[in-house]
Amino acid sequence: MPADYDKDAYPEPPRKTPVVDKQTALPNPALILTKVFYYAVDLPVTTFRDVVDSIRSKNKLVYYHQRFRRVPDLTECQEGDYVCCYEAEMQWRRDYKVDQEIVKVVQERMKACQQREGDSFLQNCAREIQQFNDVTKNYQSRYGDLGAYASGRKCLMKQKERMMAAQARAW
Amino acid sequence: MVGMSVLRSAAAFAARLTPLKPGSSPANLLTRAIPRTDKAAIRWGHGKKMFVIKPSDYYDRRFLRLLQYYVLLTGIPVAIIVTGVNLFIGEAELAEIPEGYEPEHWEYYKHPITRWISRNLYDSPVKDYEKMMAAIQIEKEKADMRLTQMEVRRHMRESGDGPWFQIPTLNKDLIDNSPKASPDN
Repeated sequence: MPADYDKDAYPEPPRKTPVVDKQTALPNPALILTKVFYYAVDLPVTTFRDVVDSIRSKNKLVYYHQRFRRVPDLTECQEGDYVCCYEAEMQWRRDYKVDQEIVKVVQERMKACQQREGDSFLQNCAREIQQFNDVTKNYQSRYGDLGAYASGRKCLMKQKERMMAAQARAW
Repeated sequence: MVGMSVLRSAAAFAARLTPLKPGSSPANLLTRAIPRTDKAAIRWGHGKKMFVIKPSDYYDRRFLRLLQYYVLLTGIPVAIIVTGVNLFIGEAELAEIPEGYEPEHWEYYKHPITRWISRNLYDSPVKDYEKMMAAIQIEKEKADMRLTQMEVRRHMRESGDGPWFQIPTLNKDLIDNSPKASPDN
């Protein structure tokens, strides 16, 4: 199985299952069912997985995350320097993708927290909810309605509009 | 015809000789076919074979057969290959880039088939990037040259002392000025 998530990151509350205190001689159907499930489903699947892993471990492949160098921004390019504009545009696209993934990660955290806490999530996950709200508000203000043909240039113009609006409000 | 009637009468006579049920009246014996109630079909086992008249489904079945054949012709090898790759080679695991090592462009992908395609069929993304930048540079130079050419045309037309827009005229040395008092007469 791929490595399970880091258990210390999202600590679960201590279990409160009571100690088994059997007072009848009748067999426990839940126990029988779990054993049946274990021998009929769990064990074959696990052995198959182990066999496949032992075959796979002979040719192990690795992959890396690519690191990109920072290039000058759209604001630092000359008027007719289209090559510089292209590089800035590509960098903006990569940053757009990264920001989308950041929003997804924060959303996953909030969902995990809500799943963990159950009905009292509004109180216990306030930090995650607050973080999610902040991140999505920033994302919306920066990349919000750019649409499918979003580009670095359009994003820059949106930022200009934002700054103009802020300045108009300041007056 | 006569032989047929003789045979028929012989058959009826032979049938008469066999023991009949008490229920059969003499009138039935005279007909050609003697209804044998003792051999009627009471239990419906396999049933009587019927010749059902319906339109031909040969073309539909042929289409489905051919569809199945052509889909499976490449479908089964692809399924075998993909299953084999997933079982025996397996996906790559994420690792940190070691110090001073520049990974090849296919080592940034997880699935082995994607890696293979990236290694053998595609150019590296760096090369694609450079190709795009070269195309942009060429187009930029073309656009700049066109702009300068427009500018030069404008200047050449205006001042007229450049090599362009020259209209060839006669050679002034060919004019015979001997009968003239002054050259402009």
